[in-house]
Amino acid sequence: MEPILSLNHITKLYPGVVALNDFSVDFAPGEVHALLGENGAGKSTLIKVISGAIAPDKGEIQFKGKKYSKMTPAISRGEGIEVIYQEFNLVDTLSVAENICMGERYGRFVDFKKMEEKAAEIFTKFKIDINPKETVESLSTAHKQIVEISKAISKKCDLLIMDEPSAPLTVNEVDAMFDIVRTLKAQGITIIYISHRMDEIFTIADRVTVMRDGGFVKTLYVKDTDRDELISLMVGRELSGTYPAPEKTYEEELFRVENMSGNGDKDISFSLRKGEILGLAGLVGAGRTELARLIYGADRAEAGKMYLEGKEIAIKSTSDAIRSGIGLIPEDRKQQGCFLEQSIEWNIAFNNIRNMSKSGFVDRKKVRETSEKYCDILRVKTPSLNQFVKNLSGGNQQKVVIAKTLAAQSKVIIFDEPTRGIDVGAKHEIYELMCSLADEGIGIIMISSDMEELLGMSQRILVMAEGKINGELEKEKFSQETILKYASNC
Amino acid sequence: MKAIDLLKKFTIIFVLIGLVIVFSVINPVFFSVQNFTNIFVQQSYVIIAAIGLAFVMISGGMDLSVGYQMSMVGIMTALAMMWWNLPMPVAVVIGLATGVLLGIINGVAAVSLKVHPLIVTLGTMTIFQGVSYIISNSNPIFGLPDSFKFLGQGYVLGIPVCVLIMIVIVALASLILNKTYFGRYVYALGSNDEAAHLAGVNVKWMKVCVFIISGFCVAISSIILVARAGSATSATGVGTEFTCMTAAVLGGVSFKGGAGKVWGVITGVLILGVLSSGMQIIGLGTYPQYVAKGLVLLAAVGFDNYQKTAKVKKVD
Repeated sequence: MEPILSLNHITKLYPGVVALNDFSVDFAPGEVHALLGENGAGKSTLIKVISGAIAPDKGEIQFKGKKYSKMTPAISRGEGIEVIYQEFNLVDTLSVAENICMGERYGRFVDFKKMEEKAAEIFTKFKIDINPKETVESLSTAHKQIVEISKAISKKCDLLIMDEPSAPLTVNEVDAMFDIVRTLKAQGITIIYISHRMDEIFTIADRVTVMRDGGFVKTLYVKDTDRDELISLMVGRELSGTYPAPEKTYEEELFRVENMSGNGDKDISFSLRKGEILGLAGLVGAGRTELARLIYGADRAEAGKMYLEGKEIAIKSTSDAIRSGIGLIPEDRKQQGCFLEQSIEWNIAFNNIRNMSKSGFVDRKKVRETSEKYCDILRVKTPSLNQFVKNLSGGNQQKVVIAKTLAAQSKVIIFDEPTRGIDVGAKHEIYELMCSLADEGIGIIMISSDMEELLGMSQRILVMAEGKINGELEKEKFSQETILKYASNC
Repeated sequence: MKAIDLLKKFTIIFVLIGLVIVFSVINPVFFSVQNFTNIFVQQSYVIIAAIGLAFVMISGGMDLSVGYQMSMVGIMTALAMMWWNLPMPVAVVIGLATGVLLGIINGVAAVSLKVHPLIVTLGTMTIFQGVSYIISNSNPIFGLPDSFKFLGQGYVLGIPVCVLIMIVIVALASLILNKTYFGRYVYALGSNDEAAHLAGVNVKWMKVCVFIISGFCVAISSIILVARAGSATSATGVGTEFTCMTAAVLGGVSFKGGAGKVWGVITGVLILGVLSSGMQIIGLGTYPQYVAKGLVLLAAVGFDNYQKTAKVKKVD
């Protein structure tokens, strides 16, 4: 059968990254075709190329027999391609019917009756009971998603792309969503289904295409393959690059978390040695950042105890954490890590500014000395400490964020995606810094979605999935396959 | 620092000097010690209230209720003396306590409702207005004692008392904003409250604190105004919030928070004061003054925005 959509040799480059590399794949009409790959494999970029949100640098898209060098949102929707993103695109304050018929016109005035009829018709087809007059904000997440799907297919839709549709849903809701997907398939709509969850692919998909590092790996019939094969196809990456390692090893325990729950995480327990670099692996949404925020007191834990150097510590706020010696380098440095409109010196001193003050007054000399010291250690490249942080490069901004945490004399430091979006040189400086901190006896917890970095830097790895710790691996047993197995919960 | 940078940084000071020169040339009467003293006496209460508001604005908030806070403080202070026959110092303490209490109400409401302070104070503004008129029964309170009027009309060592109080407040505010860690927390809150939270700042408590500071400053401002007038009504001070906001924005306090200096706020108030006084002297009434003040504000904000977008382009 003639494919409905073919991507031929699509390449998309971003500065320093090849997001898609000579990628070719065919989608057959009426099939459910899953896309599978690790974080950063290029799935999102691929969707954007198909929907026309971005233009590829090279390659050709063929849809329903017509060839395009690039799509635009107008062309793709006009031709019948609809995307359902993880974040819903609904107007909460309008009714279900209005949302479904958004952008359509029946005559000069709004025809509520017609819109409601149309919505009801779609819901009957899905055997779903939603009142078209209800406002979207009063619906459950699952029903919002159904409205989103209905909105997509109320237009002329031949190809529906679903980006992690199961992520916000509970188990029962996922089953209901699958029923809808099957109904759509029976109507001849082609579905591109993206999910991290392996079991869903085996339940719903006809074929699966595995991607890795922006490249095409293989397309298989789901009935001809199994989990192990898919996982080995997903990883199969050579580990390149060398990573520094700490010189000293300590035996004594530094930090321990017992039965921590909250923020979507359930019953987390682990311990961290002095001078250890502990990796936290998991797919996006596995609850790693949430765990970091619980430990750091940024979000309230519902239950659990923490011990630092053998003593129980009570952390109710971020200032408690800082005072006890726990530091966090947040994942989003611009939104969470630093104050862009303030100077480097101001930023570095900030976490510990109370201790650099005498009866409330800031000791300028101490602030200056501290920031000079940490700027030196971290080799922040700047003409002056008075430079605003917003004028620095990403790597240097990250160094300022790290300096800010170090200046607060932390004993345990959580690095959340410490090298995201920074250049290779700065990455290596940060790795070396982590090792020298470990040599000083500081315990490091590293969250990273960069598998290579995680395997290279960690001495031990905890794998999280759906808010739980699913597995623990010692350095000798590190393998991408095992980590992925734990991470995708199978 | 290059001349051009200096000019950019202190633009509004040059605007102020320019206005003084223009009015002095048109009418030399303007350029006299007497007139400048008048301007300071007239504007001292605005400067104090604007500094209070600046704390809230730098922290990323807004306080629309300044005017009716003044109204309530004025009424409470006056009735403490005239109806309850309390001694002047006790009445002043009651006035200050009222300001602090109103600040706490604003702050706690903003934190617990999780609504932007602009909306919260839009609500409390109306509440304060109602309460003030209920308490005063729309009657003015006359005949305040001389010991109280001294705060607004008296002189010490040849300097007006209200100006002395203003100088103390200005000094304290500069000290807090520039020299203490608390001051840094205020800026941090306005620059990036999520980063401040992760850096160990108790964001909720800080939000209440800036409203308390604002309420306290507003109370002092109101006491001076009432003492100068010698009587209090529920209309006393109403509208000051917009003068203060205009002055703060003129003086470089960012509407988004995170930026602003005490000297800027003072200069902003003085520009408005000089405009009033100068236009009065050259024979233009109140209404043209409104037009001029509005235009100056738009010009200043427009210029500021232009500068910022120009800067962004450079970084890219």
